[in-house]
Amino acid sequence: MSKQNQPTTGVTQPLRTVTPARIVEEVIAQRKSCSADGVGLSHYILMDRKDK
Amino acid sequence: MIGTATETATPFVNTGGGPLLVPLEIGHPSHLAIVDPDTAFWAIVRKDRLADLLADSTVVREYRQRMEVCATEMQGLRFGLKPSAVYFNPTDRCNLDCSYCYIPRDMRRSGEHMSEARLLESLGLLRDYFSRHMPQGRRPRVIFHGAEPLLNFKAVRTGILAFEKEFLFGVQTNATLLDDTTLEFLTRHQVSIGLSLDGPTAEVTNRTRKGWQGPGDVHESVLSAMERLRGYPGYSVIVTITRENVGVLTPLVEMLHAYGVPGCLLNATRCTLQGAREVRVADGELAGPFIRALERNDELFRQTGHKMVVANFANILLAILAPTARRLMCDISPCGGGRAFFALAANGDLFPCSEFIGLESFCGGNLFREGVDMAMSSPAFAAVTGRDVDRFDPCRRCAIRHYCGSPCPAEAHEMNGGMEQIGAFCQFYEEQVRYAFRLIADGRANDFLWDRWDDADGMETVIDFSGSVTAA
Repeated sequence: MSKQNQPTTGVTQPLRTVTPARIVEEVIAQRKSCSADGVGLSHYILMDRKDK
Repeated sequence: MIGTATETATPFVNTGGGPLLVPLEIGHPSHLAIVDPDTAFWAIVRKDRLADLLADSTVVREYRQRMEVCATEMQGLRFGLKPSAVYFNPTDRCNLDCSYCYIPRDMRRSGEHMSEARLLESLGLLRDYFSRHMPQGRRPRVIFHGAEPLLNFKAVRTGILAFEKEFLFGVQTNATLLDDTTLEFLTRHQVSIGLSLDGPTAEVTNRTRKGWQGPGDVHESVLSAMERLRGYPGYSVIVTITRENVGVLTPLVEMLHAYGVPGCLLNATRCTLQGAREVRVADGELAGPFIRALERNDELFRQTGHKMVVANFANILLAILAPTARRLMCDISPCGGGRAFFALAANGDLFPCSEFIGLESFCGGNLFREGVDMAMSSPAFAAVTGRDVDRFDPCRRCAIRHYCGSPCPAEAHEMNGGMEQIGAFCQFYEEQVRYAFRLIADGRANDFLWDRWDDADGMETVIDFSGSVTAA
């Protein structure tokens, strides 16, 4: 990654990453839904989601 | 709360009962996001089409029809859950003295072990509690946590053997006691295993993860465990980001990837206790190294085909794409503490979350005396489950409050002076959300998520729109 493109920090200057010119749609919106069963926290994450 | 369909009849956004849609700069060259902060609905729109989108467009009309569904879903996620997991400390003690641990030193040095009989009694009481509200056929989870749970492995082993048909088990360990026999037992019984590692070299790991008498062989123990766990899908590695390792996150990710680790957490240290605050990274200095490490991880995935999910960031993406599919319950308000899970200390005391175990005033009661139901309705638990980002500044006016959740209540309370305060890493969350939106805009989000995440049982599409702003 060139220095010019390296992300910088700061709230007023949002981080920018190199992005491919891939997006062609004017607008996208998406939302999916399922039953909520998350139990992880910052001290533990469940990798396999088997629940039976 | 969103009104009824009749009340939302206005064709306009941002007035009356119409949708509230707030523009959000995401650092993308051509697009920005609009967000309904109340329901977490979002769209990504080309910047020069924003005015037309907000005036009257297909996507807004579609959202208007589903607004109540989205609001009801968020209400259920935020206020309608019952616990399905317990973080179970079979001992107070730990053989390490890590800089940022949320368990007080005295407890870790000389606290108590839970006896085998008490551990079995606890699992029986917990089984009875969960069976009263969990659906038939779905097993609750017990995660042996710490302190270091393998210091009391004999009791843990007995508990797993006695209750493996009734619970799904996990263990979070520092790996120093994870010998071949223990590891073989855990994997044979399909116990989910979490390890902890802070550096790509022993020199870096030893800065924060160390024994009582000095560095010890923590780093080598974890590498050995990762080698022996290669190919086991149910394990992960937690990296706690501090000022001691923030500069080497990318080589650390490269190392975890080379070991074939299936998933990791790259967590900013929780600043609940003073020791953690002393090694914390300044809020504004975290996003850059973190995102560079994520980009390198994606590059390695593209090169090798092995995907290592960085679960805490994947969770931010899920909070945007499918709020109810979250696996971590820190980044939602109220958080999962005392709602989705609770924590059990070695003496039977119950806390909303492990993060509170060192804070006596947050004890909701004792498993053997008052029981779980009474703890759940205790003032101590209510203080945590009542922490709501809709009710305090600056969160209540923040467009991304339901992607972030303003973690963590323990940290906010201890570090910033109250439950109605933000945590330690507000800017870091902002930047993660912006980055997540950029990845979605560029069609890259699936690289950062669990395979087939959207193919789970019962997964439904609520909104799926792409096209031009005014297209029918």
